[in-house]
Amino acid sequence: MAFTKESVEEIASLHGEPDWLRTRRREAWEVYERIGLPDRSEEEWRRVDFKGLDLETFAAFEPANGAAPGLPIEGAAGVLRQRGSQPGQVELEEELRRKGVIFMPLSQAAKEHPELVRDRLFSEVKADRDKFAAAHAALFSGGTLLYVPDNVEIERPILGQYWSSGGGAAILPHTLIVAGRNARFNYLDEFLSPSLDEPAFTSGSAEIFVGEGAAVGYVSLQKWGRHAYQFANQRAHIAKDGSARIFNVTLGGRFAKVRCEANLQGHGASAELKGVYFASGDQFFDFHTLQDHQTGDTTSDLLFKGALEDTARVVYAGLIRIEKGAAHSDAYQANRNLVLSDHAKATSIPMLEIDNNDVRCTHGATVGPVDPMSLWYLESRGIPTATATRMIVQGFFGEVVDRIPFEQARHLVEEELEARLG
Amino acid sequence: MAVAPKINVGDDYKEKYGFFDPEKFVFKAKRGLTDEIIQEISWMKGEPEWMTKLRLKSHAIFLKKKLPTWGADLSVIDFDNIFYFLKSTEKQGTTWDEVPEDIKRTFDKLGIPEAERKFLAGVSAQYESEVVYHSLHQKLTDQGVVFTDTDTALREHPDLFKEYFGTIIPPADNKFAALNTAVWSGGSFIYVPKGVHVDIPLQAYFRINAENMGQFERTLIICDEGSFVHYIEGCTAPIYTTDSLHSAVVEIIVKRNARCRYTTIQNWSTNVYNLVTKRAVVYADATMEWVDGNLGSQITMKYPSVYLMEPGAKGDVLSVAFAGKGQHQDAGGKMIHVAPNTTSTITSKSISKGGGRTSYRGHVKVYPGANHCKSFVKCDALLLDDESRSDTYPYNDVDAENVTLGHEATVSKVSDEQLFYLMSRGITLNEAETMIVNGFIEPFTKELPLEYAVELNRLIQLEMEGSVG
Repeated sequence: MAFTKESVEEIASLHGEPDWLRTRRREAWEVYERIGLPDRSEEEWRRVDFKGLDLETFAAFEPANGAAPGLPIEGAAGVLRQRGSQPGQVELEEELRRKGVIFMPLSQAAKEHPELVRDRLFSEVKADRDKFAAAHAALFSGGTLLYVPDNVEIERPILGQYWSSGGGAAILPHTLIVAGRNARFNYLDEFLSPSLDEPAFTSGSAEIFVGEGAAVGYVSLQKWGRHAYQFANQRAHIAKDGSARIFNVTLGGRFAKVRCEANLQGHGASAELKGVYFASGDQFFDFHTLQDHQTGDTTSDLLFKGALEDTARVVYAGLIRIEKGAAHSDAYQANRNLVLSDHAKATSIPMLEIDNNDVRCTHGATVGPVDPMSLWYLESRGIPTATATRMIVQGFFGEVVDRIPFEQARHLVEEELEARLG
Repeated sequence: MAVAPKINVGDDYKEKYGFFDPEKFVFKAKRGLTDEIIQEISWMKGEPEWMTKLRLKSHAIFLKKKLPTWGADLSVIDFDNIFYFLKSTEKQGTTWDEVPEDIKRTFDKLGIPEAERKFLAGVSAQYESEVVYHSLHQKLTDQGVVFTDTDTALREHPDLFKEYFGTIIPPADNKFAALNTAVWSGGSFIYVPKGVHVDIPLQAYFRINAENMGQFERTLIICDEGSFVHYIEGCTAPIYTTDSLHSAVVEIIVKRNARCRYTTIQNWSTNVYNLVTKRAVVYADATMEWVDGNLGSQITMKYPSVYLMEPGAKGDVLSVAFAGKGQHQDAGGKMIHVAPNTTSTITSKSISKGGGRTSYRGHVKVYPGANHCKSFVKCDALLLDDESRSDTYPYNDVDAENVTLGHEATVSKVSDEQLFYLMSRGITLNEAETMIVNGFIEPFTKELPLEYAVELNRLIQLEMEGSVG
């Protein structure tokens, strides 16, 4: 079953979705049919090579398959596990349920809580952004709604875990997070497909609505298999005095094109966008970030750090936009690339568009090898070159890994990086 | 030889530093561009056949190429409403006395001739589309330095000319390079022989002085091995009511161990579209320095670039942009590291005020095999009010090993503490701001010859007047 209008209908029926959502899928499908693949003459796609990706070859749906590659992190307050394209199974602490926390597959939420889903779904991550976003909106499968009511604080993290093992299909989970006033919690999305041996078309998109005074930590850990093509859009809408800490970890996939965006809508809103990537083999990663200061007294802080090995290629392009009325905004943006091989290629494009003078905006980008002075110092202390290099790379990542909002995710990322460093 | 009419300087120079001289032309081409006009231009200049052919070929490329889709909006340029060639006097002035009075007066307003006489060896002053005045110090001639206008160079140094012309920036490079190659007129041609150090800056002044007239000068500089030259290009232009196009091409070859510095202070009137392609290729252990100041024009799109072709080559861009009301300065630099062990720096300082917009746009590219390169880019932007805008678009591409590349940028307003300090010393707000702005661009100013630094400070002062509302 390739991508067809029928597959859109079938997915809607499978999940028993309400009519409004079915209509929305159809609209997205129309967009998908209408617009062509992004043109490489467009700036955002100039460096993106998705040759070898043929959307026609993927099935629109993957039945539940395989076994979970690992247990979820310990001490989670709630877990949603999704296999293939089917809606996930949920465990949530009873106490949170009593407090009004809603955590369920998106299709179920569309039926039971349309007031939470209807106006928000695909309002930040729009279907008409490009053909891949349209495919995602038309064919998204499973996915999650997490709603945390006003003034509810959740100590332990909530986890969404998505895996696929077959390949050959589109795996398009969508996470919708709604934080009420002064709500506080952390959330981890884990995307796994360790045994994927055929190409897959994947996403890992998220829309995060941060209410007034709320504080949300969101970590996305992408470990799709090495044959996956990932197109994901992660975007937070942040109201007055709200704060979002978004942490993107990109490790898997043959190809990953990720947008990570903060839409600072209310006075006093703040966003922290952090990213870690490790590209090896012939992996290609492309990150586009946006810190959109729509209003004044907002702050944003971005740091994307990554290492490149073998013939990997990484593109980072980030934009700080300060709108006209956004006085007293403070924005920072940095991208650091550690190039560990002769044939890896890094492109870094940190951009600023500043329309207000009463602001502080700084950015920086670096591309470079392991610092020979640091290496020399460690070697002079009797540490072998390989170990010394490894220590330096660990230190390089340490600066940003330390900023992961909660401990469980931090450990998980540390383990993954350890494994990659070998 | 034209006779200069009496001009009431006070009335005519109505704008701050804008100039206007009555139009008085020997030949005036028709508006718009056709193959016939190009053939006519080439015929009038008595050019060899290869140049006529190149012009026609470039015209075809120009018609085919699209306008850039990024940067400023250029769709308003009406290519059919532009004069592509004008000739102001039939004969070239050879001494200062022979230069028409009104042209001299235009120079006088800038306060340049005095300094010029003291400091400078040769002046190649472009008035309208062709060089009218040119004098070269005997010493330079003795050294074998060729400093002439580009038209003369084609006649007198045909072999040297043909060897390099259009090799650094081929007509197919971009739409405006194609246009320039089709209709170029004037500009400077410099050849510095092996080991020769030209110890005084060579200068040329450019003017646009006819309504709706495009100016397409073409400059070619060849620094032979171990030589040095500093070329200064400064522009001011009269104020007119309709848009004018300035589209120059500058090609520079810096051979082994040589060093070339190219300084520009661009102060076109604020109706000019300034779309310039500047590029240098630099060989082993040689250095190219672009010192590029953009104050005038309505829209400038200019990114001086350096191709670092052999190990040890070094490139430097120092760029300053000032955008006032209605202006968009889209400037920056490009460093293309083709060979290993090459280094480059780009320093950009931009100031926006009164709704003006400055954009830094730069590209640092390190090709495969160009190992052990170092590049550093620093951009600072100052926003003087909340109507203005500043953008930074740096592209950094690294495709080689052991490359160290850094980029930093800041955008800020004039700091309240600095203003408070200065004002507490009895300095007015306007003066204080001017001082801060002058301090901000000081890394640029200090690279200029004294008389230019003075002129620049004066221009900034004029720009800043009334900026506090």
